[in-house]
Amino acid sequence: MSAQGFADFFDGKQASVRRVGYRVETGGIVLDIPEQGERLWPMAALREIGDQAVRTNLVLTLEDAPMSRLILTDKAAIGAVRSGAKSLRKGMPVRGLRAVLGWAVGAVASVALIVLVLVPIMADQLARILPAEGERALGEATLGQIQTALADDFSNFVPICQNPEGLDAMQTMLDRLMATGPALPHDVTVTVLDHDMVNAFALPGGQVVFFRGMLETATDPDQIAAVLAHEIGHVAARDPTRIALRSAGSLGVLGLVFGDFAGGAAVLFLVEQLIQADYTREAEAAADDLGISMLRDAEISPAALGDLFEVIRDMYGDAEGIAAHFMSHPSLGDRIDKARAASENMSVTTPSLSDEDWLALQTICNYPWD
Amino acid sequence: MAAPTLSTDFAGRRWPLFKLSIRTGLLTVLTVGLYRFWMKTRLRRFYWSSIRPGGHPMEYVGQGIEKLLGFLIAVVILAFYIGIVNLLLMFVSFSLFDGNYAAYVASFVGVIPLWFYARYRARRYVLARTRWRGIRFGVDPGAWGYAWRAMLYWGLTILSGTLLWPLMTHRLEKYRIDRTWFGDRQLEQGGRWTGLIKGMIPFWIVLALVVGFVVWGYVLTPEGTFSTEDSLEALLGGLVISLPFLAIAFAWYSVRSFRVLTATKSAGPIRFESRARTPRVIGIYMLGFTATWLLTSLLAIVLLVAYFGLLFLAVGAEFSLDDLDNLTAPGLPLQLLGFAVYFLIFIIWGAFQHIFVTLPLWRHYAETLEIVGSEGLHDIRQRARDEHHEAEGFAEALDLGAAI
Repeated sequence: MSAQGFADFFDGKQASVRRVGYRVETGGIVLDIPEQGERLWPMAALREIGDQAVRTNLVLTLEDAPMSRLILTDKAAIGAVRSGAKSLRKGMPVRGLRAVLGWAVGAVASVALIVLVLVPIMADQLARILPAEGERALGEATLGQIQTALADDFSNFVPICQNPEGLDAMQTMLDRLMATGPALPHDVTVTVLDHDMVNAFALPGGQVVFFRGMLETATDPDQIAAVLAHEIGHVAARDPTRIALRSAGSLGVLGLVFGDFAGGAAVLFLVEQLIQADYTREAEAAADDLGISMLRDAEISPAALGDLFEVIRDMYGDAEGIAAHFMSHPSLGDRIDKARAASENMSVTTPSLSDEDWLALQTICNYPWD
Repeated sequence: MAAPTLSTDFAGRRWPLFKLSIRTGLLTVLTVGLYRFWMKTRLRRFYWSSIRPGGHPMEYVGQGIEKLLGFLIAVVILAFYIGIVNLLLMFVSFSLFDGNYAAYVASFVGVIPLWFYARYRARRYVLARTRWRGIRFGVDPGAWGYAWRAMLYWGLTILSGTLLWPLMTHRLEKYRIDRTWFGDRQLEQGGRWTGLIKGMIPFWIVLALVVGFVVWGYVLTPEGTFSTEDSLEALLGGLVISLPFLAIAFAWYSVRSFRVLTATKSAGPIRFESRARTPRVIGIYMLGFTATWLLTSLLAIVLLVAYFGLLFLAVGAEFSLDDLDNLTAPGLPLQLLGFAVYFLIFIIWGAFQHIFVTLPLWRHYAETLEIVGSEGLHDIRQRARDEHHEAEGFAEALDLGAAI
């Protein structure tokens, strides 16, 4: 093979364009550079500059002279080079791979340190000293976010159930628990969201939120009272405030790492965190303890909590992730046993709601005229 | 003898760019976003090599891996800011103001200097990796100096009700250009800011009409014409209608000031001339985005119909629209396919935007650019490599993607 001609050559030292003569031989390209004589660019050291807009040209550089450029335009010459040079596509030597690895480890470590250690520690400390008004505002803001994030495509947000009789029934239940309950940092308010999910959770500022699905799944008002008492236990310990502050800190960091590629994923993550509220085992146990003692003081059987777990288990199977807040902890069996044991020596229990109020509570999401 | 003038060709074609954009987009999705640094690198190589002043292609020599490194460095620093500082701001905001708006405002204000800083650093990185005729461009360090100047001139612009916008444009461009080099030749931005005033006049006329409309409605009529709900709608409608006119008037200013600033730039004896035309630029934006939007919608509909068809086939009669609430209903392979379709639509949007908006814009700006006095190029020598480890990491982390 032999192709020859003239091509533009840039030496990478000065901005002038040189026309050089070239010959493609078996060993490589022989360049005839004015005032410098002949020079061989060996086939094995030739590298192609990729992604060129002009597809009919071949832009070449040399592995050990990476600043120089030779631009071939002749079809025959390009063909000869392409068939002779086997490592055209091989990348130029990569510099700084070690630095990349070092900073990658550093980045992972610092993100982990911030998300897993610093933010939780700070959130726990700050949750303790956040004024009650601020906590309430934080709760309202997060409830708004949850309503928006869980909305389906046909509405902008999940509505709050407002049937007056249902609201009265819920208030009756709450009053009964609170009449003999402990002093809390906040007045408790209960909200029911019109959504199928079988779940309930607490938000900062004394808000307890039930989904309609939970009210419809329960077979007895005492089961709802037991859940309510458990959530009030979280309110008393300010657990939701901690989680909300934590996710406020870690959300931005995660958004930073992954970019806003999928848009809105960050908000979904926040909602997930709050609803599935992955509290520590100690926090759950403390909320259980306070819940059980509140139920006992109000003369409601704590065994109802165990009953509810069983209802859910019958409906959805064991590890179905429904009401994950209650189910996710490995000690579920223990918690059922504890609730049942606490009810054993109770002499007097009265249902938490009358049948009429229970019906009203279960239909709290119906409009009054339905 | 007239000074030799180099005109600029633009060699990039739509189809190769479309293929490159789709291919690198797919790789980005498959690597959970990691490939985006290489995607950007390859697209830049294409665009740069398309621009051929005097028939010699520009070259982009940046590497994906250095962008990844820069991003990691930025993450280490910004993770602290975003995690800890934002948490504290959130806390203070809820403690003192009972809401999170104060936190958002403070957090946003805190990022502004960083934003300008990142812009300057990104430009420095990109030019340090740009070559023409084998010679590197380069930018002197000075990102913090740029950041405070940018905030100062933005402040003046806002306080003067946009009257000092030309001052900002000229001063910031001069700061950037006077620190820019081609090889060992320093560039200089000449001219005066008053030379840009004329281009702002259409914008000010439109703005004056809008302000006049609002003032007329609120102040001059005795009862306030906009007091009723109907007339409030009229006000909002008027403002919405005025937005395209403001945008067109501003595009007019942008293109005209680009021409004026180009004509007053120099690199030793070398000068520049741009004949970029405003109607052309506005036309490219309007037609380009319309085409992008129409074609993407069309393809999205086809993809979604195909996907739901597949769902019906797979799940059969049991499938109903209610199952859409329950993401586990279609089974894992179909769910994955659903995600794939979702991302594919974004990739297609990006590719259409490249071939209908970015490429035509670059072509127009390139083909209307001339280099006057090109004999002054011959004694330009190479400059040393600017290592710039952090690359454009901050810009990437702060999502200042710009065009590419």
